Amino acid sequence: MSNQKKKHFQIEAFKHKVVMDPKYPDKTWKILEDAIHEIYNHNASGLSFEELYRNAYNMVLHKFGERLYSGLVATMTVHLKDIAQSIEAAQGGSFLEELNRKWNDHNKALQMIRDILMYMDRTYVPSARKTPVHELGLNLWRENVIYSSQIRTRLLNTLLELIHSERTGEVIDRGIMRNITKMLMDLGPSVYEHEFEKHFTNVSAEFYQVESQRFIECCDCGDYLKKAERRLNEEMDRVSHYLDPETEKKINKVVEEQMIENHMLRLIHMENSGLVNMLCDDKYEDLGRMYTLFRRVTDGLLKIREVMTSHIRESGKQLVTDPERLKDPVEFVQRLLDEKDKYDKIINLPFNNDKSFQNALNSSFEYFINLNPRSPEFISLFVDDKLRKGLKGVNEDDVEVTLDKVMMLFRYLQEKDVFEKYYKQHLAKRLLSGKTVSDDAERSLIVKLKTECGYQFTSKLEGMFTDMKTSQDTMQGFYASHPDLGDGPTLTVQVLTTGSWPTQSSITCNLPAEISALCEKFRSYYLGTHTGRRLSWQTNMGFADLKATFGKGQKHELNVSTYQMCVLMLFNNADKLSYKEIEQATEIPAPDLKRCLQSLALVKGRNVLRKEPMSKDVVEDDAFFVNDKFSSKLYKVKIGTVVAQKESEPEKQETRQRVEEDRKPQIEAAIVRIMKSRKQLDHNNLIAEVTKQLQSRFLANPTEVKKRIESLIERDFLERDDNDRKLYRYLA
Amino acid sequence: MGIKNDRVKFNVGGRVFETTATTLANAGRNSMLGAMLDENWNLLQDNGSEKFIDRNPDCFSVILDLLRTGELYIPQNISEKLLYREALFYGVLDHVRSAKWGQFDGNRLRLSQSVQGQAPGDGTAIRAGPDGGCCVAHGCMVHVYDWMLDEHNPLNLDYQRVNDVGWVDPNNIVIGVSERLGRGDGGIGLFSSHDGELRYKFQVSHENHVKSYTASALSFSSDYKIFSSCKGRSNEYGVGVWDQVTGKQIDFFYEPLGWSLGDADKVQWLEGSNCLLVATMFPRKDNCYISLLDFREKKMVWCWSDVGATLAVDEKRVRDAIAMEDNSSICVVNEFEELGFMDLRSSAANSVRWSSRSRLMKGKMPEEPCYPKLALHGGQLFSSMNDCISVFCGPEWVLTSRLRRSYGGSICDFSIGGDRLFALHSEENVFDIWETPTPPII
Repeated sequence: MSNQKKKHFQIEAFKHKVVMDPKYPDKTWKILEDAIHEIYNHNASGLSFEELYRNAYNMVLHKFGERLYSGLVATMTVHLKDIAQSIEAAQGGSFLEELNRKWNDHNKALQMIRDILMYMDRTYVPSARKTPVHELGLNLWRENVIYSSQIRTRLLNTLLELIHSERTGEVIDRGIMRNITKMLMDLGPSVYEHEFEKHFTNVSAEFYQVESQRFIECCDCGDYLKKAERRLNEEMDRVSHYLDPETEKKINKVVEEQMIENHMLRLIHMENSGLVNMLCDDKYEDLGRMYTLFRRVTDGLLKIREVMTSHIRESGKQLVTDPERLKDPVEFVQRLLDEKDKYDKIINLPFNNDKSFQNALNSSFEYFINLNPRSPEFISLFVDDKLRKGLKGVNEDDVEVTLDKVMMLFRYLQEKDVFEKYYKQHLAKRLLSGKTVSDDAERSLIVKLKTECGYQFTSKLEGMFTDMKTSQDTMQGFYASHPDLGDGPTLTVQVLTTGSWPTQSSITCNLPAEISALCEKFRSYYLGTHTGRRLSWQTNMGFADLKATFGKGQKHELNVSTYQMCVLMLFNNADKLSYKEIEQATEIPAPDLKRCLQSLALVKGRNVLRKEPMSKDVVEDDAFFVNDKFSSKLYKVKIGTVVAQKESEPEKQETRQRVEEDRKPQIEAAIVRIMKSRKQLDHNNLIAEVTKQLQSRFLANPTEVKKRIESLIERDFLERDDNDRKLYRYLA
Repeated sequence: MGIKNDRVKFNVGGRVFETTATTLANAGRNSMLGAMLDENWNLLQDNGSEKFIDRNPDCFSVILDLLRTGELYIPQNISEKLLYREALFYGVLDHVRSAKWGQFDGNRLRLSQSVQGQAPGDGTAIRAGPDGGCCVAHGCMVHVYDWMLDEHNPLNLDYQRVNDVGWVDPNNIVIGVSERLGRGDGGIGLFSSHDGELRYKFQVSHENHVKSYTASALSFSSDYKIFSSCKGRSNEYGVGVWDQVTGKQIDFFYEPLGWSLGDADKVQWLEGSNCLLVATMFPRKDNCYISLLDFREKKMVWCWSDVGATLAVDEKRVRDAIAMEDNSSICVVNEFEELGFMDLRSSAANSVRWSSRSRLMKGKMPEEPCYPKLALHGGQLFSSMNDCISVFCGPEWVLTSRLRRSYGGSICDFSIGGDRLFALHSEENVFDIWETPTPPII
């Protein structure tokens, strides 16, 4: 080897490089591109999935992911542009069908393309932060088809027109509507909203504005509500069949606003068919419809409630102030109960037992019942009537129901103490005359009053029952210890605790000797067993059964009051007695005696006495005889007393005064209680607290409260603050 | 014969396999095998013919077995990597991953692998990813490993010292680094775990001025918030809050006077009570400060500090803390691995109740000790000390297991996630992966 021949070697760096066919990516992409064409042309049956998947895999593996992805975008765009053209070319009714068909085709193609490019989707797409294939396919469809200028407005108009014709009664293909709206949803909720929903609600608002105007001109309220309800149901039905569920709220709001909210007042006040008419005619169905429809809009129920309240107040006011009604207390209360029943039913059924309506009803009743100051008396009279006779033959449950209803009314009363006064009087009469029908009913009512107003309210009433029971035992004891009394007259004494009973201190009349001797025996027996007590006789409240034989031998048993008995017994020893003689012998107070004689002599069919002269009124010169001609079909004759059932004007005044008198200590007690805990309080707050404390019994009159405060200041319970005259202090 | 033929025949790389469509359906429609059987692709083919797949038959056989049984057995002659690659081709890599190791149980862990790294210097932190991967912070770099323990591109933020790192989801990692004086660098960055690219940098602004800052401990909430302890140059110490999605700062909790929030060792978001635990420990500060912040009310709702405690009990210094919401308590640990507990329900600062469990470590400290760390997972409490990790269970936190490996020196950090436990050693650049084996066959 010669030096000349020495070759200069250059050592090249080893290149870590795999030489690849430079046409490889183009070739591979061509295969895939052709496959995509075939898929869009419904010609995929000849394709080998494995081969295509492997090719796509290899492209990604050899870093041609970008090439693959951009090729996909370009190819798909071309196809979608074609598709858009063919949809644009569709005529008339076939437009939606063509759109739907192409959409289905695209979806299927998209699925297959994604299958082929799955490896790219899994590895290249996330690392290069591209849109995944499926989403890409939807985006391209949206951009190229839905947003194409030829399709966009046409699609919207077609959808809206179809809905309009369905609203006007035509039948449309709901299936295709569902597919199209679902497509819009698949493209993204915002696409659905912007391309369809927003316009749909606007168009609907216009439609219903016009329609509601037309309806309100020509329909009555009930019909209008029926139509509105039907429209609402139709819209809900539409949503459930072919719109997105989210649309329901929005379209409902449109219909509610146009059909109801905008016409609310006009509907309620509609002449001859508005709310008041519905209430008067008990139109439950219409009322129910109005309630459910109006509940959907703001302030809807408020409006109904306002109108209902003012109607109840107005008609209630008429009822309680109508002088005709005041004649019969039982009827008066019955009317109130009927009215209450009517509205209870309306609130229970059509108004869905709505609490706010119940409250409105209660406040309305409270308002008008108290407009009539005699309501407490009447309610007590109603109870009296029911407990005397009204409940005969009625089963226990019904009694309870009636009593519960009365308690409802009682709850509305502001002057519960007035009711108590009357109730006590009426109860006393019932108990003493043995007229009460059912002891259970009486007691049940007491329990109700107790739960309503507390122990204090009923303690005296309960005392009355206890007295009755004790008296029974006492009488048994009395007769057991006096076996010798078998033959004479039978005496039944009811020992009444002073204070529990509404007794007036009355002058005891002279009893007949037989009775008075018996009374003495009882007195000594009673005081013998109960030391330290005092007995006084309430002769004005008793009654007696007398066996009488008249001139022609007719025998009768007379049921009379104690006074009447005293009078009649005088005739055992005399045929004729003058008024004066009777008065002297019996010492019955004049007005009572007159009433007593009236009932004995002047009532037809009950006139066991005869009066001379035969005038209507009893005067001092009258003379009385036994009426020998007395006859009656009945063996037992009940001689009633002429007593006014309702209170007369002066009696009313007296009761009123007694009530006022009774309130004074209660008000004072309340003031002292409050001041004791607060130590000091200003005038207005004190009045407010007193009123609040007492409202379960009566509505305190501020002037009266003020008087009581003055009186307490005088008696050194309270003092005024030196600096602030409005401020009171409690003096311990 | 009236009965639909369920059988499918494959020819994979020359070897014929026969299976059923039912077995293949286990792969799911979103896999290559699932798509292959879809009727879209089978319009003309009859069931008798083989489907050809140009792949490795040995791997296919393993994968087919996985689909049949749900269990993974890799023969000696197949490398795991090869199998993973094939599984990715068929689209069943997730099946392989979930069959690879069992559901996490601290008491049944086995050492699966140790991975050696190249980074110089000590590791700072290791964090398990939600799908079994992990990332390791070394100095100014974060090395990212997927669940197959393949290393991806490392992350860095201006090559500044990394103080904490965490996964917000399998695809994204957040790192917090120190600032470089005068350069406006540092702060917090969100990176892709796949390619290591920076996606967002999170800024701190005070009175509308963007400031540079040092981010230390990080935490994340399920409603996409990032919390970080931040230390600015002037008085901008505190805890910043950012939205992961927008990258915007949404809140800042300023450090109160006499307290420490801005250079915390640990922040922990508590989903149940809507509070953030912030703990700063010795030796970063001379004292230990633990507090719970309520961002809605801008209030410190609970706090504890050892300021003023007699330091005769030097050994009782708190070195790590973790909130245990289920027990309404905070667990702390000192350098002798004694656990202490504090009640979260009483808002007043109360004392630590130390459990007098063991003082085994006392007197035999290794040459290069690491401070103990705590972790809580599935009702089990973990604490690292020197070269081992202790597992505590039950209401009284009884020591039930101890994980130890002799090689690599002390454990400077560990983390549990994706049903794996990762432990980073301080002396050698190595981390261990502990897994629960799959359940026994019978």
